[in-house]
This record gives sequence, C-alpha cells and structure tokens, in this order.
Amino acid sequence: TNDSANDENTAPSTSTATASNGQNVTVFHDPENFNVKHPLQNQWTLWFTKPPTGRGDNWNDLLKEVVTFDSVEEFWGVYNNIAAASQLAHKSDYHLFKRGVRPEWEDSQNKHGGKWSYQFKDKKGIDIDELWLHAQLAAIGETLEEDNDNEVMGVVINVRKAFFRIGLWTRTVGKAKAGDGAGKEALMKIGQRFKETMKLGPNEQVEFSGHTDSAHAGSTRAKAKFIV
Amino acid sequence: EISKQVEPPQPSAAMKALRSARFLNDLAGIEYPNAVASPNPALNKNAPADRKFKYNKEFLLQFQNVFKEKPSLDWDVKIRDTIGDGGDTSARPGSAR
Repeated sequence: TNDSANDENTAPSTSTATASNGQNVTVFHDPENFNVKHPLQNQWTLWFTKPPTGRGDNWNDLLKEVVTFDSVEEFWGVYNNIAAASQLAHKSDYHLFKRGVRPEWEDSQNKHGGKWSYQFKDKKGIDIDELWLHAQLAAIGETLEEDNDNEVMGVVINVRKAFFRIGLWTRTVGKAKAGDGAGKEALMKIGQRFKETMKLGPNEQVEFSGHTDSAHAGSTRAKAKFIV
Repeated sequence: EISKQVEPPQPSAAMKALRSARFLNDLAGIEYPNAVASPNPALNKNAPADRKFKYNKEFLLQFQNVFKEKPSLDWDVKIRDTIGDGGDTSARPGSAR
C-alpha cells in the first residue's frame, strides 16, 4: 500500500541548482536565475501622452498604453529602460494607472473622482526624476492609502515648458461612503502622504480638485476644493 | 560600426527568470542577503488574508541596480511606437552582466 517507500526507481536528484531544492531564490540572490518575484497588490499600466504636433491631433492618438506589469522586478525593468521624465519633450505626460482605468476624466471610473496635484515651477531647483520615481513607488508599493480606502487610481507627471506637475488621481472627491465623513478624512490623509512623498515643506500647498470642476473651468484653473 | 543582427534575438537569462519566477506568497519567509534590508514588516502586519504586499520605498529602491533587463524582446520597437523620439534609449544602462 505504500508506493512511496519504494524510491529506488525515482529519478536521482541532481540537486545542483538551489531551485530544485524548493528554495526561494530572489533577484537579490541571483539576478539571472531567480525563481520567485515580488507581487504587486495591483497590476499597473504605464501610459504616455505624446506632445501634440499642432496639426489637429486626435487625443486618442496621442495617449498610448506602453506596458502593464505586476511585479516589483518588472517595474524596474520598465523604469530602467524608458526615458526619464526630465528627458521628455514639453507637453509629454507619463501616467501610471491601475490596470483597466484609462487616465482620462472620461473613464467611467474617474467620473466622480479628482486629483491631488502640485506644480513644481522651479524646474532647475528640484530632482524631478527622483520625485516622479518616488510617486510611482508609493503607488505600486501601496503606501498612499489604507487597505479599504480604494481611492488611488494612478499618478501622473505633466512635463511643461514652465513647470513639472505631479498628480495623484482618486476615485472620489471625498464624499462619505456611508454618510459618516470617513471619505473626506481618508482623502486628506492620502493628500498628506502624497505631499510627504513629494518632499514638500509646510509652506507649500498641495491642492485637490474634482475632475468635473476642472473640466468645467476651461482654461482657467479650477478652484482647489481641499488643501494639505 | 554596428554589426547586423543575423539571428533572431533570444531572451536573456534575466528575462527568462522574470517570466518563469513564481510570485512570493509569504514575504516573512524570505531570507534576503545580508546587504539587503527586508520590507518594513509593519506594512504587512494584520493584512487581510487575500491581499498581496505593501512595500516601503527603501525596500523598493534596492532593486534599482539589480534588475535592469528590458521587460520583453520587442521593447525597443514598443518604445519607438509609443514614446517615439521622446524616448532616448541610447542612454539605457546595459544588462546586469
């Protein structure tokens, strides 16, 4: 009844590779032969907005999906092989959003949402590549929100002639989910963490505005709904 | 002079490893090499059983110089199609060899 007792006919184990012993080999142990990777809580898609050519571009042709990934290792494979934000032409954007959410107001999942954002006007006085990297790490590392907040949709960097702007898009504008005010509290906390990620001091203000307000404001800037 | 590619490109060892590696399901069970700081355990304490991990920035930054491989063989074409001239890949770091 005990077949496993007869192990003389099983293939001999060579046990040359650590992997065959069922051990976890991470990229830190062996960058070319790792057998485990670090999962992200969400799958993330990197998008790129090309600068308009000025010849009647269609927005949909300018916004391109670059790649989707779901591990820490692959994030770095992407990051290490793509142009740094500081190298992009003016009017370019990178968007790093949860998979399945288009980085546009028009996406139904963004309809009731808004964004925290900050404009860096002193382009030479900051390390924008580091700030954008840290914004992305906070997003994929899921350290911006609590487990049940379900607010973070993605992060975005706008490269412009006069400034860099980094934004964090949220699902709601802080409306309480159960009428108890927890919605706004969660949103403010997310804004505060985003501000710390951006290394901003107490005298600098990160502003929140709803997408609908921004859309209706036209060329003038939407009035900030919240500030941290 | 740049030599012409005569054979179809093959995935590198690192690329193959990325594709075939399993997702870790128990972060606490990993023993990282001495020089590597483990993820902040407070981030994953009392986490719901069905959620994956949170990672602090300091932990994530340690991968920066360890995994530099392009995510796929068609990466350069993909970048040309999506980012175009905006993507200067000539300054790309070499593989982790």
